[in-house]
Amino acid sequence: MKLVRAEVERLLARRFVQLMVVLLGFAFVVTTVTTVLGSHQPSAGEVAEARAQVAEAIRGLEVEHQRCLRIKAGEIPLDEAGYVPADCSELDPVLQERLPVVADYLSGVFVFGQQAEPLLYFLIAFLLLFGFLVGASYIGADITSGGVVNLLLWRPRRLTVLGTKLGALTGVVAVLSVAATVVYLGTFWLIGQTAGLPGRMEGPFWQNLGAIWGRGVALVLLASALGFGIATLGRHTSAALGAVAAYAVVWELGARVVFEILDVARVDQLMLSTYVGAWLTGRVELYDDQVCTDGPGFGLCTGSYTITWVPALLVLLALVGAVTVSAFAVFRRRDLI
Amino acid sequence: MSAVIEIEGLRKTFHTLRRGRRVAVDGFDMVVEAGQVHGFLGPNGSGKTTTLRALLGLVRPDDGRMSVFGVPTPEELARVAGRVGAIVESPQFFGNFTGHRTLRLLAVAGGVPTSRVDEVLEQVGLRERGDDRVKGYSLGMKQRLAVASALLKDPELLILDEPANGLDPAGIREMRDLVRSLAASGVTVLISSHILAEIQLICDHVTIISGGRRVAAGRVDEVLAGFDQHEWQVDVAGPERAAALLREAGLSVTDHQGLLVVGGAREPELISRTLGEQGLWVRELTPIRPDLESVFLELTGTAPHPTLPRQVGGPALPGEGPEPMIDLDATAGRGVDA
Repeated sequence: MKLVRAEVERLLARRFVQLMVVLLGFAFVVTTVTTVLGSHQPSAGEVAEARAQVAEAIRGLEVEHQRCLRIKAGEIPLDEAGYVPADCSELDPVLQERLPVVADYLSGVFVFGQQAEPLLYFLIAFLLLFGFLVGASYIGADITSGGVVNLLLWRPRRLTVLGTKLGALTGVVAVLSVAATVVYLGTFWLIGQTAGLPGRMEGPFWQNLGAIWGRGVALVLLASALGFGIATLGRHTSAALGAVAAYAVVWELGARVVFEILDVARVDQLMLSTYVGAWLTGRVELYDDQVCTDGPGFGLCTGSYTITWVPALLVLLALVGAVTVSAFAVFRRRDLI
Repeated sequence: MSAVIEIEGLRKTFHTLRRGRRVAVDGFDMVVEAGQVHGFLGPNGSGKTTTLRALLGLVRPDDGRMSVFGVPTPEELARVAGRVGAIVESPQFFGNFTGHRTLRLLAVAGGVPTSRVDEVLEQVGLRERGDDRVKGYSLGMKQRLAVASALLKDPELLILDEPANGLDPAGIREMRDLVRSLAASGVTVLISSHILAEIQLICDHVTIISGGRRVAAGRVDEVLAGFDQHEWQVDVAGPERAAALLREAGLSVTDHQGLLVVGGAREPELISRTLGEQGLWVRELTPIRPDLESVFLELTGTAPHPTLPRQVGGPALPGEGPEPMIDLDATAGRGVDA
């Protein structure tokens, strides 16, 4: 417990961690200020006008749906400029995933219910960067500066020391993620209440937002462990940064181009970014016409396929698990010279 | 006395892609008894730091047996780590932390009362600079901080690798006094250093390593005595005649610009009597004792060559290093003799 306390204090005292927290705070303040300045509470007239526009838009959808049904029934001819989908249910307002809402027609009004999700994704992206960089620099700087050796002279149990460091890192990142989310979303919720509109928050809104947040924080912790693990293996912070840059350039960009030239099917399935996206959003729909080149039902093939959060989680866990286990195994036997 | 450190047959070879295989320690033995101030000497690249790192569990030995306070290391080092304070090769610290904070974090991690921090800062002369950031410290101040970190545990065994690195003359003297006071209070001290005169002043025992092997060990005076040529510097009127007389008496004589260096005389009376009986009166008769530096240079084969610059890391592969020359570890007698 004493070691955990010392490591948490050491981590929080690091200039880089403090700098990243300041950057997070700065980004938060800038976003908040610009949101507040760019938003106002709509007047009754603005709301009434927006409602009328919503009703008009929904009515338009119904008209299009009815027109489609009548064309299919042969009641009216298809005019030259017109287009109807193969299945008219695509235009059925009742079956739409999302119908127009008042907020869509309010200009210069911050609507929390509409903006919460992209705001949360932005926060998660920052925390991902934070977790990875802090994880890598925490152990990387400690190894290169001799801090690990100093500590091992006091606590000559390598796995305990490294495990405590990883635990302290993930603990601090988790607490910071929770605190940042509460402050961040809380502030924007307040802005929605006072300088904008709360928007629709009934139904599964909070449940969906909570799920995104939970998956996001898990991803942040995995990224922290990944940065920590790669830097431990490479003995330097730069090893983690280099590994990520090399992966992005060589695999995500270079290999993707090569695979496409070679007509490899489902290239996205081979890319880590796909699984990150699938985990974060719950599922990703991908399209690849190579999928349709053979197999039964060729004529009906849409070329789309789906990756859900389950295989995404398995891939991410396997990657981070492999790197972390390797880091501990190497560190256990490594000569610290 | 009981052995605090025992090393037997330690071997370590490093393998790197660039430099290939390099034998750092090749069957090295060492014994440090309780209460000793033990000097650990060797030229650059001779294996000193590798030995200390292996002893402290930072480097995995290929072969050999080591123990600290009778506990096998590195396997069970954790059992006695609280009794061992160590610095290995100029440790670095986070520049943005103050000296005080650096020590406090170590104290917290090691379960030492944080009140010890101020005590050791005072002990190493950093009391007034404890709240400064380490990046503002000079090399000598960082070295003092390193020693302070080793003292934090109030250790029974103190291992100091080059503790005088970067210290000014006053700092070296303070370090010497500190080591002496620690030794006087019963702390066993193992010091690795290049400053041979310092080692000779501080240490009562010494182990010399070269090419990864022990080439000498024992009490400092005994090691030096092993290299005593029984030489005397003689100043006498009529040095040519005196030299002839002494040679007739069976002694070796060389003339250094009027001063004679006479070898082979165990007692000075032989010289003064031989010359006095012939009416030659000795004005000066000074024993020429070997110092640690000359012994070290001879044992390690690192004496400067008049024309060739010496290459660091010299012989390292088995069979290339110097043969063990002397073992005066009279107090050891526990199976570590080469």
